[in-house]
Amino acid sequence: MLHSPVERVAEATPHAIAKRFRGLSDRSLAWLFVAPSIVLLLAVNIFPLIWTIRLSFTNFRVNRPNAEVEFVGLKNYISILSDKDIWLTMQATAHFLIWTLVLQVLIGFSLAYLINKKFRGNDLWTTIIVLPMMLSPAVVGNFWTFLYQPQIGLFNYAVGFLTGADPSSFSMIGDVSLAPWAIVIVDTWMWTPFVMLICLAGLRSIPDSIYEAAECDRASKWRQFWTITIPLVLPFLMLAVLFRGIENFKMFDLVVQLTGGGPGSITELTSINLKREAFEKWRTGYASAYAVILFVTVFGLASIYVKALNKVKQR
Amino acid sequence: MAEIVLENVTKTFGGTVALDNVSLTIPDGSFVVLLGPTGAGKTTTLRMVSGLDTPDSGEVYIGGRPMKGLSPAERNVAMVFQQYSLYPHLTVRQNLEFPLKSPLLRTPLELIDRTVKEVAEVLQIVHKLDNKATALSGGEMQRVSIGRALVRNPQIFLMDEPLSSLDAKLRADLRIELKRIQAKLGATLLYVTHDQIEAMTMATHVGVLNEGRLVQFGAPREVYEHPVSVYAATRLGQPRINVLPADLFAGAPSGAKSIGLRPEHIVQGEGEEALVRRVEHLGDQTRLHLTLKRHDLVTVTDPHTPLRGGETIRIQPSRPLYFDAAGIRIA
Repeated sequence: MLHSPVERVAEATPHAIAKRFRGLSDRSLAWLFVAPSIVLLLAVNIFPLIWTIRLSFTNFRVNRPNAEVEFVGLKNYISILSDKDIWLTMQATAHFLIWTLVLQVLIGFSLAYLINKKFRGNDLWTTIIVLPMMLSPAVVGNFWTFLYQPQIGLFNYAVGFLTGADPSSFSMIGDVSLAPWAIVIVDTWMWTPFVMLICLAGLRSIPDSIYEAAECDRASKWRQFWTITIPLVLPFLMLAVLFRGIENFKMFDLVVQLTGGGPGSITELTSINLKREAFEKWRTGYASAYAVILFVTVFGLASIYVKALNKVKQR
Repeated sequence: MAEIVLENVTKTFGGTVALDNVSLTIPDGSFVVLLGPTGAGKTTTLRMVSGLDTPDSGEVYIGGRPMKGLSPAERNVAMVFQQYSLYPHLTVRQNLEFPLKSPLLRTPLELIDRTVKEVAEVLQIVHKLDNKATALSGGEMQRVSIGRALVRNPQIFLMDEPLSSLDAKLRADLRIELKRIQAKLGATLLYVTHDQIEAMTMATHVGVLNEGRLVQFGAPREVYEHPVSVYAATRLGQPRINVLPADLFAGAPSGAKSIGLRPEHIVQGEGEEALVRRVEHLGDQTRLHLTLKRHDLVTVTDPHTPLRGGETIRIQPSRPLYFDAAGIRIA
């Protein structure tokens, strides 16, 4: 007469296995189960991180494995932080980051707000709006180069149609002043749906009865929006910003396909710049220091942000 | 402050009839309790009056004005929701202030403070004012929800089972408080409950609903003593009215199918022989569970009765109610 699930499992376990594990405590058995993932984590995450930090203090070059590796102290860090070109890269990244976040939050939230209204076919619209997100960034980058084409590009045609300007008079990815906006537009086109989905989850989490209570409490729609909708969706919105912020700080594929960092190096974001240092110029030690700086920056910003997020949640 | 009139109100939700041609006049300043099981249309009636839902047909009047097309805000009603519906990101104080902080009202801050404090004292939640609304027990949430209605001075209060999550002591306290506040403000109050004690103690009028139809409307004593049907009779009274075949006792009028006996309307001493199955001493009264010709019934008796289970007594009805085959009262 065995009734509990544990007893039934014990009964069903073949004797040989049961015998082999007899004598192991629950605790050691638990470690045994977790061990493979911990080993994997150490091997592919923790070890490379520590190795990178070590390399960042050397002049190691991976294309000259036989050259003597010298310990150079903070030299790599100093030369990176005093390099004007790297600061320009940082500026390009900041421009990209800030504008994509601002646009995606504004458009994403607005779309979510509209989709959340009950109307016929809103599920279909959600699917249509979410489509860009499902495409490969490389593909998106590639086909937008066609859309941005001055002579035949649909984007230029549409702008020309709406403003009356000559479509071939400007090139989104060829002009120094337009290229930073070209990448912002494409990223916004592709990732606004993501922000929308998260905002939609937030909006749907607010029960109707709260709005009904507010309605009875004589709060106008405007007041309901600012005192109920916004505060209750804010944690979701901030989470979306966190995800998008981290993603866009590392932006690589889409921009490489679209502009390749050009014209000149005007759209060369830090990750593209870093890739050049590491795998075109082969300055491994230098690139390691670069990577460590970026890691610390993202990690620092993200932890400050997560703290703020938790505060909002607890409010 | 305002009379409420429902005129032939019908409402269906996706094929199910929630309210079926209900006409009801709620006099100004009355305390009306709607009784009925889940799905009887009690909450729907409240929502019709509040303006959160609109009738498919029929009309709602408040203070003589037709309410068609008017929002809850325009109707000036305060509602207590069954599921509390507190603003989860606000503190208790902010929740209570919310209806007063409407930009339209321009209530002076000092007055808001005073009102909130008064209401919090009545509801015994002063010590929780700075808690977040989500950090409360169910009973506390329910009191905040009542408080949010009480801080205002609306034409009509609508309350959907406002005392259901409270413990017995608090419930008894708040019954008295609600009645006192309502009498003081002279407000019209429409109140939904399952609890017949709330109906008997607070109501000036009781409305009995069954499957979307208004079965009976009148003073609680009136409904208790002269129910129109078995259904209405079983809504009030604790322990419940005993409904037995009419031929169990002599003297049934012709056409009577069943006899309804309130527990206090059973006289001991003479009549039919009944077996005492169980004796429940409640302190102020004692309940007897009897078996009479294989039918179970409950009566009340002297608190100090020497009766024990297994003994037999003789009983006969006094002031019985008779119902026909359809459950309609005939005598």
